[in-house]
Amino acid sequence: MLINNEFNEQKIQSPLHYIWSIFLKNNFAVFAMWVGIGLILISLFADVIVLYSPFLQDPEHLLSAPYWIEGGTTEHLFGTDDLGRDTLARLIKGFQFTFGGALVITCAITFVGAIIGSTAALTRGLKASVLHHLLDALLTIPTLLIAFILIVLFDPSYQNALIAVSLSLLPQFIRGIYNTIDSQLNKQYVVALQLDGATNIRLLRFGIYPNILEPIVTLVNRIFTMAILEIATLGFLGFGTQSPDIELGKLIADSIDLSYLSPWLIILPGLLIFIIIMVVNIFTEGLRHAIIQGED
Amino acid sequence: MTALLRIDNLYKQYKGSKFFLSSGFRNAVGPINFTLEKGKILTIIGENGSGKSTLVQMIAGVIPSTSGDIYINDHALATMTRQDRCKSVRMIFQNPKVSLNPKMTIGKILSAPLELNTDLTAAQRKQQIIATLELVGLLPDYLQFYPNMLSAVQQHQVAIARAMVLNPDVVIADSILSTLDISLGFKIVNILLKIQEKKGVSFIFISHHMNLVRHISDQIIVMQKGIIVENNTTDNIFNSPQKMITKNLLKSQQPDYRK
Repeated sequence: MLINNEFNEQKIQSPLHYIWSIFLKNNFAVFAMWVGIGLILISLFADVIVLYSPFLQDPEHLLSAPYWIEGGTTEHLFGTDDLGRDTLARLIKGFQFTFGGALVITCAITFVGAIIGSTAALTRGLKASVLHHLLDALLTIPTLLIAFILIVLFDPSYQNALIAVSLSLLPQFIRGIYNTIDSQLNKQYVVALQLDGATNIRLLRFGIYPNILEPIVTLVNRIFTMAILEIATLGFLGFGTQSPDIELGKLIADSIDLSYLSPWLIILPGLLIFIIIMVVNIFTEGLRHAIIQGED
Repeated sequence: MTALLRIDNLYKQYKGSKFFLSSGFRNAVGPINFTLEKGKILTIIGENGSGKSTLVQMIAGVIPSTSGDIYINDHALATMTRQDRCKSVRMIFQNPKVSLNPKMTIGKILSAPLELNTDLTAAQRKQQIIATLELVGLLPDYLQFYPNMLSAVQQHQVAIARAMVLNPDVVIADSILSTLDISLGFKIVNILLKIQEKKGVSFIFISHHMNLVRHISDQIIVMQKGIIVENNTTDNIFNSPQKMITKNLLKSQQPDYRK
């Protein structure tokens, strides 16, 4: 952790800086990070980027192929669908809804789950036990099924799909945080802090959270991946986004009848989902390795 | 002269018994009665699982006792505020590798007990921490360091400094030398003896090195199966052990290498 600056003074890096410097040496993960930042920027400024409105119909070009395939034009880079709408614009708009929704859900789950999980781990007795068994009961139901049940209770729409997915993923995150904090409470540095008379907030801030970065990164990564897949699945099955709104899963579902005529209408959104999940996983895997290496 | 530390009928019991489906309590430790005078060093010896660690953890407040009282200067620990309790009894944990938080600097580790238990300003805290670091033989430069940058002995010194920073009356050291080899262990012991000389604190040791025990302690308690079987001065214990367990402990730990 000692690094020398140009005046040869010894300077001590904090553990977080040290972990970051290890992460920066992993080129693959850094590339994934920049791609991820690019994806976030695209989802933020999707409306500015698109050349055509995703709902604008072009009767001149129906079902045209991407430009690199015979019959495609550079007017519509990724081709058009059966109503002549630009596929690239629809992909970007759909990506905005899927990726942005998953991002919002992940932030919300992390915030709410961390609060509930920490409180549950630090309390003893009846309250903790009730929560514990409630979570156990919820974890027996598959998350997608919970999302379906919630969607049936509300009406199918994009907002309700987001709420349903976040509620279905919340128990997993709470349980994960609960378990990691529970394992930390036996550590002697936490016991020593408790002996010093530290309040629970101080205990979490200095004793517990700095030492559970690795499980948190893994948990957040899993929640994000599952959120993307579940939003897309709900959209695909017609329980999520409703026409005319678009979303990656819904794009696939809309074009499923056209799979022989223009397969790229299905391939491109599927590929995009794949790329998002790969990028996020490579980035967090690099981060996780850096944290593990930095803690040794 | 009144005793500094007085333990009165202390018990630790766990729920459940050895027999299947029978309710009741299992005695882990107790009854324990002993006193410790100011500036003396008490050593607890015994087999593994005889309740030594449970006893000192109860005194330090890591685990609650089932019944009985602990008095310091005739004040019951149970009635004291948490801050007073912290200021009177401190504990040095067994292994500093796991008892020092790897994500906090030495300065932060040492200032946490001061922040939580005293009303000192930041400048006064820093002064106190530097004085304590000097007491245990470390330079003030170590304030910026993280625990994994220090050697095993230095980590032990920091652990001692964390116990000493509040100027306690009683310091408990739970087999702190078991992770060090004996030559480095003596370095730590010498630091502790120097502190005892300067500050007049009382120590409660747990140790398995009988030669060391003979060297440092004023009073020895022998424990077996959760109760005190012998409580006497060092000379009496080593010269005329009364119980079989004491004899075995002394014999097993003093091999005659010259044979």
